Amino acid sequence: MYNSLTILIAKVLNFFAKILCKILKKDNGNMLGRIVKKLNPNILEYLKIDCPVIAVTATNGKTTTNNCIRYIIENNGKKVVSNKEGNNMETGIITTLIKNCTISGKIKADYICLEVDESYVPIVFKKIRLDTLLVLNFFRDQLDRNGEVESLILKIENFLKTYNGNLILNNDDPNVARLGQANKENKNVYYFSVEKYENASIKQKEAGEGKFCPFDKTKLEYEYYQYSHVGKYICPTCNFGKVELFTEIKNVDLENMTFDENEIHYNTQANNIYTIYNFAGAISVAKIYNLDAKKSLETFKLNNGRSEEISINGIKTFINLAKNPTGANVSLRTLNEDKDEKELLFVLNDNPADGLDVSWIWDINFELNNVSRVITSGKRAYDMAIRIKTSGFDENKIEAYTNIDEAVKSLYKTEVKKYVIANYTALQPTRRTIFSNK
Amino acid sequence: MGAHLANKRGGRMKEIKLLYLYPDMLELYGDYGNIQVLKYRMEKRGINLIIDKYSIGDKAPDFCLYDIVFAGGGADNEQTILSEDLIRYKDNIKDAINKGVFFLLICGAYQLFGKYYKGVEGNVIPGLEIFDYYTEAIEDRTKRCIGNIVINTKIGETETKVIGFENHGGQTYNIKTPFGKVIYGNGNKFEDSEEGFFKKNVIATYLHGPLLSKNPVIADYIIKYCLERKYNEKSMLNELDDTFENKCREQLINSFCK
Ligand SMILES: [Zn+2]
Repeated sequence: MYNSLTILIAKVLNFFAKILCKILKKDNGNMLGRIVKKLNPNILEYLKIDCPVIAVTATNGKTTTNNCIRYIIENNGKKVVSNKEGNNMETGIITTLIKNCTISGKIKADYICLEVDESYVPIVFKKIRLDTLLVLNFFRDQLDRNGEVESLILKIENFLKTYNGNLILNNDDPNVARLGQANKENKNVYYFSVEKYENASIKQKEAGEGKFCPFDKTKLEYEYYQYSHVGKYICPTCNFGKVELFTEIKNVDLENMTFDENEIHYNTQANNIYTIYNFAGAISVAKIYNLDAKKSLETFKLNNGRSEEISINGIKTFINLAKNPTGANVSLRTLNEDKDEKELLFVLNDNPADGLDVSWIWDINFELNNVSRVITSGKRAYDMAIRIKTSGFDENKIEAYTNIDEAVKSLYKTEVKKYVIANYTALQPTRRTIFSNK
Repeated sequence: MGAHLANKRGGRMKEIKLLYLYPDMLELYGDYGNIQVLKYRMEKRGINLIIDKYSIGDKAPDFCLYDIVFAGGGADNEQTILSEDLIRYKDNIKDAINKGVFFLLICGAYQLFGKYYKGVEGNVIPGLEIFDYYTEAIEDRTKRCIGNIVINTKIGETETKVIGFENHGGQTYNIKTPFGKVIYGNGNKFEDSEEGFFKKNVIATYLHGPLLSKNPVIADYIIKYCLERKYNEKSMLNELDDTFENKCREQLINSFCK
């Protein structure tokens, strides 16, 4: 009774909140979930879910991959309930589910697919049934909130000890692949991998996490690195790294944006290796549920600051989100692969949602190819300027403005192609300022 | 000797040798940036920085042959493997410190040079016992000293504020000569008044950032110290353009120490 009442109250609240948000032109985000959780902390356990529940977790690429899975399911003519970007902690998930359930707590959908913050996987799925968990990667991200990466992995490993559902793992990330041994009884573990691509390297180019075998501490032997610590490795002691693959992406061609999987040729919009890995995860989910992924991936749009391409008064501008070194390195790889002259704007904030610690910018590989000017902005514009200057880039070609309006104004003084990289809370203000310059 | 050792005026180029310990393990929080800053500030002054790396499985280094030894912070679970390896060089390291080699030790490395590190489960990781401080983990795993930190320090003749970021669960006790007095943040322990450990040729601290990027005075102290020791002459470092560093410091000190 109390559960139904909570939902009823929530529905009424949501109704008014929607109107209010329309007036204020604001997104109400996790608000509803926060209130509901206060009223009834066990609400998740009460919800009646009959359909498969799919979850995606990772340091990087949760949102893209979750959106991609949702898109695939919808394109297969099914109804899917899914959370939006940023709503990936418990309250965000409550918000999503409450908005989509009946008064009796029943969720009407063919599938539920959720992106879940790494540290919330054990918390949320203690309360709702999980059928498929997709784990993409673990990198250092917002360390000051989660503690060391290792303790995060241990939490998920602990959760998996009693989990028998589908577990889809990126075998090329040793931090992820090790999770396949958390529960030896689980027969539903699926590994995916991406074949060596053109820019893979023999030496590690960017800082990464996995160096030692998690089982016997032997140094892992890498045949190559795709990016960061993701690549082909093996433990010489226990053969960790060697598994039977469920999904293997081959013939990655970033220029033509194509690849092959299981004799199917994919034409996509992905121009970086990092998205190819997200697609490998999404394709694995599709295979498990017998959904067609080929058609969906052909039209799936990558947007919202993630490799967004726009034109501002005729000046080509690329906007990228980078929350951590790996994200930034991927954006800079794309910049460096572009042979034209360009200018870079890097916006760095240190708000709580970004992580207060900005020392991760020193793990970014800042070799810049044909960049004629760098502008830094955000609350930590000067930290960024020092970082780039120390990497060897001519300090006379660096400008730092803590104020984003000044930074964008200066950026568009020239007509050279622009690359913009911003971290989490910096992205939207940066986009807004750039668009208002139109 | 290679041609790179000669400078434009035909004289021999000054050269500093640095040993970078466990680059593949102690590299959390961008601490490698400290070496990049040293290299940058030396090269601007025509000094060559040679960086040698040592990691588990490599040939044993002779610490006494270097001007600077650097080690950073790593993941907690790798600390044990590291301690076992480093302890083999204990006497050599002691010798190097006594001979005046400069040691810059950040976070995990700072702890390793003390007597021991006692973990949450009571497990003790032995330290090098070179200095007589020791570190104990806080029982509550979720509690860590995390955040921006500003300390006041006197280095050489200069008094300066040092800005960084701390992130440690360990509480370090029994420090007689701290690196500085805490103005903002925690320090060696929760809400402590002191941070780090200092002696003429050793800076051991919890400050990431990386430390030297926002504190050029400290970087220049180390460079000057190494030059004077190696070349046995008073050295005057020419000033560099530190506009970004100064603006960065001004902005951060204003926002933290209101
Ligand atoms: Zn092994």
